[in-house]
Amino acid sequence: MTIADLSSMLFDRVRDLSALCTRVGELSDEGIPFVLLAGGTDWMVEQEMREPLASDVFPTVIDVSQMGELRGIRLDGDILRIGAATRYLEMRRHPAVLERAPLLERMARDVGAIQIQARGTLGGNIATGSPAADGVAALAAFDALVVVKSRRGERHIPLSELQTGYKTSTRAPDEIIVAIEIYLPSRNATWFWRKVGTRKAQAISKVALAAIAEVQGGQVVRCGLGMASVAPVTALLPRTRELFLSTRLDAIDDFMIDKCVESDIQPITDVRSTGPYRLHVAKAVVREFARSLGAA
Amino acid sequence: MLIRFRLNGETREIDVAPMRRLLDVLRLDLRLTGTKEGCGEGECGSCTVLLDGDAVNACMVVIGQCDGREITSVEGLGSEKHLAPIQRAFVTDGGAQCGICTPGVLVAAESLLRRNAAPSDEQIREALAGNLCRCTGYERIVESVRVAAVERATLARSKTSNGSPASQRGTKSGAPQ
Repeated sequence: MTIADLSSMLFDRVRDLSALCTRVGELSDEGIPFVLLAGGTDWMVEQEMREPLASDVFPTVIDVSQMGELRGIRLDGDILRIGAATRYLEMRRHPAVLERAPLLERMARDVGAIQIQARGTLGGNIATGSPAADGVAALAAFDALVVVKSRRGERHIPLSELQTGYKTSTRAPDEIIVAIEIYLPSRNATWFWRKVGTRKAQAISKVALAAIAEVQGGQVVRCGLGMASVAPVTALLPRTRELFLSTRLDAIDDFMIDKCVESDIQPITDVRSTGPYRLHVAKAVVREFARSLGAA
Repeated sequence: MLIRFRLNGETREIDVAPMRRLLDVLRLDLRLTGTKEGCGEGECGSCTVLLDGDAVNACMVVIGQCDGREITSVEGLGSEKHLAPIQRAFVTDGGAQCGICTPGVLVAAESLLRRNAAPSDEQIREALAGNLCRCTGYERIVESVRVAAVERATLARSKTSNGSPASQRGTKSGAPQ
């Protein structure tokens, strides 16, 4: 237990996003480790569990939990923009999320208990980079864009291009996650969320599937899939997605789904589950999603 | 670092290391030991307090993040002489046994009842899903929250009709017939 380290860490706050970009840039230039702290639902646990640090590698902690430019939810036409430090509980209460992106509300309900929802954020979920992240799986289903900002300017990273491996990404260390932008599916799109864990509340996923689909005349015309805890990154299931987009629903059967899922993921056995069980559940939840669309 | 916040309705200003946990500052510096440490990693809910009205785990909040915020710990729900409805219901309806989880459960339940005056059993269970209890089997906890909801409603009605708070005593007797 190393929470004793905490009291020796520097705690910093900056006035706005522009000042944050400058500060983070300077710390990067100087090679000083830093942490942007929002809800702390992952980071504080890591502090509790890790080995003690040498004092020269204590990170500077910059509190971003109250920074206005990183917070809030805005609906602009069919684009939903969620500030990176917006809490899950705020998402669950927001009319635009409830009306246009109910998948996010459903995911947020399962991400952890109410105490976790009151602190956790999508920005934190992305930054932590765990392949078990429920929030990232949901964002993958929407083909979300991650808005990042640094001294060099702002850019949008498609979620499919963000993760490169276990907890590694194409985001530069000085690029701050500012917001998530979602091009919303049509109002009659089907959405699906299934989280399988040890228990209903507070569990880290053994497998979770987030999915959306727009169907026109028996054919899927937009499809997004995000699966947690079955690969080193959030699994996008590209072959399964291609199956949905290329085949009429009445011609899709369980055998075809199973083959695609098997070629998309090779889940491992770890502390939470086994590889074979995860593959079994992954196929089952994709089949359930397909049935919800009207597949054979 | 000088940190100023509202705690149980009073303005407090303390000079502490800003990265210390809210849980430790409450217990060690402010001697408010009602908030308990269980797991220390956001799993058990025994350190639940309200931060700007929302239930949070005090083991995962650093005190620097509380600057300018409003905190309610279990001590802020009622007093020894005048327990809050949720506290009275736990006494009369067996919501507490060994007691280690009780402060966190009370605070989480209070947070629920402030937003939802008449929660269903499912809503009560969802709101308390982040609070582990190893004694009660949860049935008596859910029952206690149900009883508290009824008493709060009765108190609110009598305040409206009389212009003054109702008696601070009794729980089940206050239920509408």
